[in-house]
Amino acid sequence: MRTRKILFLVFITIGYVQFSNGQELLELLDKEQKDVPEYTSATFKMTRIAIGHSIETRKKGILEIFVANRFWNTPNPQSESFFVDRLSTRFALEYGVADRLSVGLGGTSYDGLFDGYLKYKLIRQRGDGKGSPFSITLMHSSTYNSNAFPNLEGDFSNRLSFASQVLVAKKFSPDFSLQIAPSFIHRGQLLAAEDPRNHFAIGFGGRYKLGHHLSFVSEYYYIANPIKSFDTYGPFAIGVNWELGDLMLQFMLTNAQRIADDAFITQTRLNFNFKNPNLNFGFNATYVIHFKSGLKK
Amino acid sequence: MIRLIMAFILLGVLGQQENENKIIARQGQISFFSYTSVENIKAENNQVLSIIDLENSTIAVSMLMSAFVFEKALMREHFNESYVESDIYPKATFEGSIVNYDPALSGVQTKIVKGIFSMHGVKKELEIKAKIEKNRGHFIVSGTFEALVKDYDIKIPPLLAGNIADSISVDFRFEYEPYEN
Repeated sequence: MRTRKILFLVFITIGYVQFSNGQELLELLDKEQKDVPEYTSATFKMTRIAIGHSIETRKKGILEIFVANRFWNTPNPQSESFFVDRLSTRFALEYGVADRLSVGLGGTSYDGLFDGYLKYKLIRQRGDGKGSPFSITLMHSSTYNSNAFPNLEGDFSNRLSFASQVLVAKKFSPDFSLQIAPSFIHRGQLLAAEDPRNHFAIGFGGRYKLGHHLSFVSEYYYIANPIKSFDTYGPFAIGVNWELGDLMLQFMLTNAQRIADDAFITQTRLNFNFKNPNLNFGFNATYVIHFKSGLKK
Repeated sequence: MIRLIMAFILLGVLGQQENENKIIARQGQISFFSYTSVENIKAENNQVLSIIDLENSTIAVSMLMSAFVFEKALMREHFNESYVESDIYPKATFEGSIVNYDPALSGVQTKIVKGIFSMHGVKKELEIKAKIEKNRGHFIVSGTFEALVKDYDIKIPPLLAGNIADSISVDFRFEYEPYEN
């Protein structure tokens, strides 16, 4: 009995040695692989899903030239405009101060809003099952209304509005990501006394990859306490995001004419449908310039 | 009982022998270059693992694709997300053997390394010319080879075809030390 045990052990030993002398060196390397945290990258490729912010911030030393356009037609069946009746453009420079902190400064042509934002990636999702199962980014933007108001009381502070968002997103698979964005908006100038100054809203956004460089996106914001003096609707967008190296393009259909965060969330006056002027064609172009080389030299 | 102990000792001795002839590189370097008239792209990975069993001249290499560092941070994101799909295929590996290699000889030898390279879910048989340097028990393996992008099922959109070369030049350099574990 004992002899058998020993023989068994010897066979196992010999078998083991032969096994490891074979082609199983790769298994040894697997054990050597250092346990580096694998943070999920590219939950959304761009800093906007379509109309609203995504959890993405740009890495340190990256400058983005961001141009957002919304085109729409007036209800008049006949018009003298070339291409479209109305155009709103937000031109902005957005910069990665640190890997997790971005700042942006921009101005919108149609509504005369100048805006600035700060965005900080608080928690990063980890793909290896350890750590956080989702990402959280904090976003705060301020807008300054530069329009001339003949009867606006007060001063600078009445022209300022703020939007604060907690962006929570999860990349479920390489193809599919979802984001929920609880938002708080404070508006500086009110058009009627009955209107609330502070609004609560929640945004939903998703991305589904159609190809390696193309993805389908959609976004919707629900406003808990909308403006009372005129009708507003939840901004909605569907579109595609297309990245071409340093150039990233976003095409969308939306009912939101406004582009600044507080304005499009609380002041989208038309519902989403295919009539003029409800239907807006949106086009965002982002050109990326790197000021910092990742390679040591 | 004594025989049982003997068997364990035998197991221990064999176990040690098995590792004695292995050498490992824990900070191997692999870099690749793509040269086109539009853009030059370079990426480096300094955390490549490699192990050689000197007894039978077998070699294995393993690297994390996400550890490649690019000049442009966004390029790294594109590389992992849209080209090599690191979420699905996190590693690239090579297993093979050094043909006609005699580890006893010191100095520089140039040998063919033959084996299977696996990346982006594609396995490909490669023959790579490598320089093997032995200097007082230390081994350095280095070389260059060309890899065709289309061989590894990596799709480049037509609009970017001019920015990325069809053939990528790959440099590698591993410094080995005795493997103890």
